[in-house]
Amino acid sequence: MESLSKAMEKSGVSGNDLDYLIVSTAFPQILMNQSDPARILAQELGLKDLKALRVEYGEASGSAALEVAKSLLEAGRARYVAVVGFEKLTEYPSDKANYAYSTLLDFEYEVVRNITPPSYAAIIMREFMKRRSISKEDIAAWSVNMHEKASTNPFAQLPFKITREKALSGVVISEPLTLYDAFPLGDGAASIILSDEEGLKRASAEPVEVKEITQAVGHPLYLREDLTFFEATSNAWRELSSRTGITIDENTAIQVHDAYSIYGLLALEALGIGEAGKLLTSLDEMPFLNVGGGLKARGHPVGATPLYAVAENYELMTSGFNGLKYDGEYSLVHSMTGPDLSAYLILLKRWK
Amino acid sequence: MKHSISQFWRKKDSYYFIKLTRCRKCGRVSFPGREVCPFCGSRDVETYTSRGRGRVVSYTVTYFRREGEEESMPRIIGLIELEEGVKVPGEIVDVEPSEIEEGIEVEAVLRRLSSDNPYGLIYYGLKFIPVLKK
Amino acid sequence: MGRPEEKVGIIGWGAYIPRDRLKADDIALLWGFPPQVPKGIWIEEKAVAREDEDTVTMGWYAARSALARAGIDPGLIEAVFVGTESKPYAVKPSATIIAEAIGASSRKLSTDMEFACRAGSEGLRLATALVASRTIKYGLAIGSDTAQANPGDVLEFTASSGAAAFILGSAEESVARFEGAVTYVTDTPDFWRREGSRYPMHGEGFTGEPAYFHHIMTAVRMLMEELDLKPSDFDYAIFHQPNGKFPLSVGKRLGFPKEKILPGIVTPWIGNTYNASALIGFAKVLDSAKPGERILVAPFGSGAGSDAMSFIVTDRIEGKAELAPKVEELLKRKRYITYGRYAKNRRIIHRNVG
Repeated sequence: MESLSKAMEKSGVSGNDLDYLIVSTAFPQILMNQSDPARILAQELGLKDLKALRVEYGEASGSAALEVAKSLLEAGRARYVAVVGFEKLTEYPSDKANYAYSTLLDFEYEVVRNITPPSYAAIIMREFMKRRSISKEDIAAWSVNMHEKASTNPFAQLPFKITREKALSGVVISEPLTLYDAFPLGDGAASIILSDEEGLKRASAEPVEVKEITQAVGHPLYLREDLTFFEATSNAWRELSSRTGITIDENTAIQVHDAYSIYGLLALEALGIGEAGKLLTSLDEMPFLNVGGGLKARGHPVGATPLYAVAENYELMTSGFNGLKYDGEYSLVHSMTGPDLSAYLILLKRWK
Repeated sequence: MKHSISQFWRKKDSYYFIKLTRCRKCGRVSFPGREVCPFCGSRDVETYTSRGRGRVVSYTVTYFRREGEEESMPRIIGLIELEEGVKVPGEIVDVEPSEIEEGIEVEAVLRRLSSDNPYGLIYYGLKFIPVLKK
Repeated sequence: MGRPEEKVGIIGWGAYIPRDRLKADDIALLWGFPPQVPKGIWIEEKAVAREDEDTVTMGWYAARSALARAGIDPGLIEAVFVGTESKPYAVKPSATIIAEAIGASSRKLSTDMEFACRAGSEGLRLATALVASRTIKYGLAIGSDTAQANPGDVLEFTASSGAAAFILGSAEESVARFEGAVTYVTDTPDFWRREGSRYPMHGEGFTGEPAYFHHIMTAVRMLMEELDLKPSDFDYAIFHQPNGKFPLSVGKRLGFPKEKILPGIVTPWIGNTYNASALIGFAKVLDSAKPGERILVAPFGSGAGSDAMSFIVTDRIEGKAELAPKVEELLKRKRYITYGRYAKNRRIIHRNVG
């Protein structure tokens, strides 16, 4: 509610203008004992003629929700859409949040066999380290960089800098993955207000265009030849670049889904930004990468995460993010479920 | 985790056996048993049962704990490449974290996967152990 | 005069022993027994099932080994019996789970049976009778237990976990054909476990003479008389082994020399696996038996009863042992654990669960 009212305030769009409320949340049935959260929120808002629906697509729920919003607007079925994402991961003891998170994997062939998402991240990390001769110390650079960025972000869950030693000293989650290689469990909400071109006339904030959205479904990890290649992300990117003709590089404002440091690196590789080993040594020269601190340090309240990323890049492209200015024409938000089981890309474009 | 009795019963075969799919069109083998080849989309497939032997391709010792798993920590989770040329995910047991290595030969064995509580059903399924007989 | 058993034999055998071992000395130290106590009954260490193992999982492994040696399609097995006193479910047969998981026919007889430590053996006799009567072609008999003992009781030195499985078929196909069997059963209250009770109770000394010794010796003597055999006719004598001392003692009293008893003894290193006790010893002997050798197998169960069975090894045993893990190999597979881990594995530690 709070994030939505702030968004409405900033945008100049009032509740009565809203046509659609799209809610993005992954685990409300498990962690909040609540099905149909969109309707609940709509009822709470008490707005006249408000339509509502919920989108769930694993960790990329927020991106999928944005795609639905964009589709409604392009189809002329709405003028103003609010996309609200939230997750309440700390509602129960962590064992239960861990259980909820683990249901993202295939129940019959993975979950019941006691396979969990961090196990896969650890296996990928180990394989990566072995193949590329990159050490845990090298990979810790990601975490250090993310924390650096989060330290000035008022909405970050872990707004403090860390040293590489600290990053390496975390408790083990799943060897070789330790605490600082993974996202923290936390709560959060984020809201994005979208409108069609006509609707912009009423808005008081500077707009950014949601230019293109693509997604791809990947293979389960065990069916992959190369455990370190994020094919879904790569496929989504190929479709995006062929549709729009754009190119990106290490100076583009990009948000990658770094639920684990290794996932952030492999996503950048799949997007063609560079080779992971080299990227690890040049993170300090990439101020527009995961400006808010990424999932690693800003946090990962699952349903809200992609919306946080979009909001951070929106700010970066308009008023500036914590003083950081960006004048690129495009920015990209990547999200995915698990180890690239599915991937979403959202291309934002400066409004002319 | 509250498991559904009927789901467990209906999917017994996939708990008690490792079912694989061979595509007659593209020739690739995949896990699990399916009606459609996940690689080429063809329906011209046949399912069969794996012998259950393979090698550990990669593994991790995990302390990540879900509800009710207190007595099973830590677990060794790995990807096992079966003789039939396809990888499967699995829990590896009867081996110390210090003894396990990539490449060790393993065999699938029936173990308790989980149980909802002391009064509920026991879910049996396959885990992997270092082969007892080469 | 043809005994029905003569038409039947064992076509495949298998065993399973969990990997973890708890030393008897550690138990003695914790509970304040003088070290001579475990030494005196010849128990050195015992096998402990992991928290994800139980009668079903162990029986499954033994059955699979038996299948590998039998070389038959599991779909032809039409009887599956599990003898156990540690059923994962008080009501729901372990036998049906094992049968399904090995691919046995749905058209079958199947049940779990209880007779303290000899129900596995009763299953063996029943499967034999079904084959002999041509009711079925192949039957599977399993003895499997994760034995319980009251912590601090002397029984804790030996109560352990293990399984053995035998597939019965026609004598012509067998690796060891049945020569004859006698089962001797009376109502004897030497050892019991009440419904709902976690651990058994026993009569200590009473479990010896009136129970173990009386029933085994009576059954074996009855068998030898019926078959007109003497101890010297046998190459091996395998007995139920609650510890290492009893089988040597009963064997001696029956007139068997130590050399014929030792090959079938496993308890000192894995403990008393209850329903698998004599049967793992039998599996071990089969692992290295030669054609023509005669084997006596005499399981005992409290309550009480004993079987005495005579087998003659056939030529068909050649090469079979190699097809599955041998008992020697299972004995060698071990790691030592602490009493604490044993307590955790066996769920002796009281926790809030569920």
